[in-house]
Amino acid sequence: MNDRLWLELATLGYLASAFWGIYALGARRPLGDRATFILIGTAFVFHTIFLHQRGERIGHCPITNLFETLAFFSWSLVLTYLVVGQAYRMSILGAFTAPVVFLINFFALLAPIDVPNALPHLGWQLELHATLALLGLGVLGIAALAGLTYLIQERQLKRRSLTAWFYSLPNVGRLEVVQQQVLVWGFAIFSAGAILGFFIPHQRTDDWVKIAWSAAVWMLYAALVLVLALGRLSHKKTALLSVAGYVFILLTFWGINSLSEAHVFPHVG
Amino acid sequence: MNSSPDQVICGGLTFEKTAVELREKIAFRDSQLPAALAEMKQQLGLREAVLVSTCNRVEYFGATSAPEHAAAAWPAFLRRFHDIPEDFAPLSFQLSGAPCVEHLFSVASGLKSMVVGETEILGQLKDAYDIARTQGQTGKWLNRLFQSSFAAAKSVRSRTAITRGSVSVGSVAVELAEKIFGDLRGCRVMVIGAGETSERTARSLLSHGLPSLLVANRTYERAAALAAELGGEAVRWEEWEARAVDVDIMISSTSAPHYVLTTEKLEALLRHRARRPLFLIDLAVPRDFEPSINLLDDVYLYDIDDLQSIAQSHMRERQTEVVRSVEILKPHVERYLDWASRQGDPGARPNWMAT
Repeated sequence: MNDRLWLELATLGYLASAFWGIYALGARRPLGDRATFILIGTAFVFHTIFLHQRGERIGHCPITNLFETLAFFSWSLVLTYLVVGQAYRMSILGAFTAPVVFLINFFALLAPIDVPNALPHLGWQLELHATLALLGLGVLGIAALAGLTYLIQERQLKRRSLTAWFYSLPNVGRLEVVQQQVLVWGFAIFSAGAILGFFIPHQRTDDWVKIAWSAAVWMLYAALVLVLALGRLSHKKTALLSVAGYVFILLTFWGINSLSEAHVFPHVG
Repeated sequence: MNSSPDQVICGGLTFEKTAVELREKIAFRDSQLPAALAEMKQQLGLREAVLVSTCNRVEYFGATSAPEHAAAAWPAFLRRFHDIPEDFAPLSFQLSGAPCVEHLFSVASGLKSMVVGETEILGQLKDAYDIARTQGQTGKWLNRLFQSSFAAAKSVRSRTAITRGSVSVGSVAVELAEKIFGDLRGCRVMVIGAGETSERTARSLLSHGLPSLLVANRTYERAAALAAELGGEAVRWEEWEARAVDVDIMISSTSAPHYVLTTEKLEALLRHRARRPLFLIDLAVPRDFEPSINLLDDVYLYDIDDLQSIAQSHMRERQTEVVRSVEILKPHVERYLDWASRQGDPGARPNWMAT
C-alpha cells in the first residue's frame, strides 16, 4: 500500500493550492495566479506517480476498484485544468478546481474502498473505453467549474457589488467561451468512451445500473450541447445547467460505482 | 555660499492652493518646456534642474547650495517667462532635503494627485525628467532622485490597491464593460440622447479601442453633430430600436419623462439579437431604462447612481491605501538619503536631515 503515500502527498498539495487560490482571489492586491498553477502542477506530479505505481503493480489501468476510479477521475479533472488553464490563460480556475479535487481524494483515502479486485486481462479496448469515459467526466468537470466562475461573476455584475473577487476573476465573455468550448470537448470525449463500450466484444453480464446512469448523463449533456448549438438558451442558464449536471454526476458517481463494482466480470480462478 | 554642499530642492504651485484660473496662466506647453527649463535653471541658480508642468501642478526640482535664492527667484521667473503681473510667492511652496525626497516619491505614486492613485502623473514625471536629462540639465543628484522615485512608485502600485478601481463615472463604465466583454475592440456602442454625460462616457469607451458608435437623438441635427465630433454615425429617432439589435453597449441620457426602453420592448428586441451580453448604461434622471430590465439574463443595467456609488467606494478604498503607501515609500526615501549622505563630504548627512 506504499503507493497510497503519493496520493496522500498529492492531496495535501491540492489542499494547499485550494487555500492559496481562495486567499489570492480575495486579496486586495494582485498576487497573480501563477502560484496556484505551480502548486497544483506539483501535486499533479505526485498524483501521476501514484497512478503509475498502482498501474504497474496491478497490471491494469488503475481503475479496478472505486478507490482507484475516484483517484483517476480527480486526476483527469486536474489534467484538464492544467491544459485549459494554459490554453485559455485561465489559471484562476485552479482556485475552484483544487477544493473539488481535494474533497474527492480525501474521501477516497478515508473510505474503506481500496479493495483489491483481481480482474482478468481486459484488452486495450476495454481499458480505453473506461479511461475515455472517466477523462470525459473530468473535462466536463472543468466546464462546470468555468460555469460556476461565470455564475459568480455574473451575480456580482447583476447585483452591482464589486468585491475583490470581481477584480480577480476573468470577464464573463471569456468565461462563457471557455465554459462552452470545454463542455463540447468533454461531451465528445465522454461519448467516445461510452460508445466504444458498445462495440467491444465482452464476456460479462451487462451492468444495467451503470449503463442506464451513463445513458442519462450522456443524454443530459447531449441536450445541453444541442441547445448550445441552437443558441436558444441564455448564457446564464447554460452555465447553471452545466453546474447542475455536474453536481448530479458528483452525487451519483459514488453510489453508482460502488453498486456496479466497475462492472461485474467473471473472476478467473 | 558655494562652500555649503549641494542639496535637492523642489517647489512650485499645485491645485491644493492655486485655482485653475491661475494654474492655466503658468502652465508650460510642451514646446515651451526646453527653453523654460534652461531659463529657470539659470535664474534660480540651480546646478541641476527638472521642470514639471501638468494641469494640476507646476513644479521645479533642482540641486543647489542656495535654496533660499531659488525660492525667491521662482515667482520672478514665472512672471517674466509668462509675462504676467501676478505674484506667485504666497502660493508657492519650497522643500529641501528629506521632505523634498518624500514629496517627489509621493507625487510619483499618485498620493498627492487630485484623484488619488491616478497613474498619469508618473508618465508626466518621466517625460519631464527625460526632457531635462536629454538636455543635460540633470546630474547625479536628480538622476538618482527621479529614478528612485519611479522605482518607489512602481512598488507602491504593485503592493497596494491604490490604483485599483475606477473613480469616475466614465472609467467605471469602461471597467464594467471590460468585465462583461473582455476586449472592447469588437463592441458596438449606441448613444441615445446627445447629452454631455453620455458624450463623456462614450469618449471613455472610445479611448479604450471601441471601433464605432451610433448616436440617436430626437432632433437629428444634434445627433449628427455629436456623431461627427466622436467619429460615429447618426441615427434617426424612428430607427434607433431597429439599429439597436447589433449593439453591445447602450448609453442613454434623454430628457424623456418616461422609459425610453421598457422590459417588454427589450425582450422583443433580444429575440432578434445574437446571443451576446448587453450592457445598458442609464445616465438619465428620470431614468430611461425600466429597472426590471436587470432581471433579464445576459443583460446588465447600471444607472447613474450605481456608477457613482461604485466610483465613490473605489475612492474610499484608495484613501485607505494611502497610509500603507506612505509606509512602503519610507525605505525608498531612506535609501536615497543614505546614498546622498555618502556622496563626498561625510558630514553632509546632518545637513540633509536638518532641513
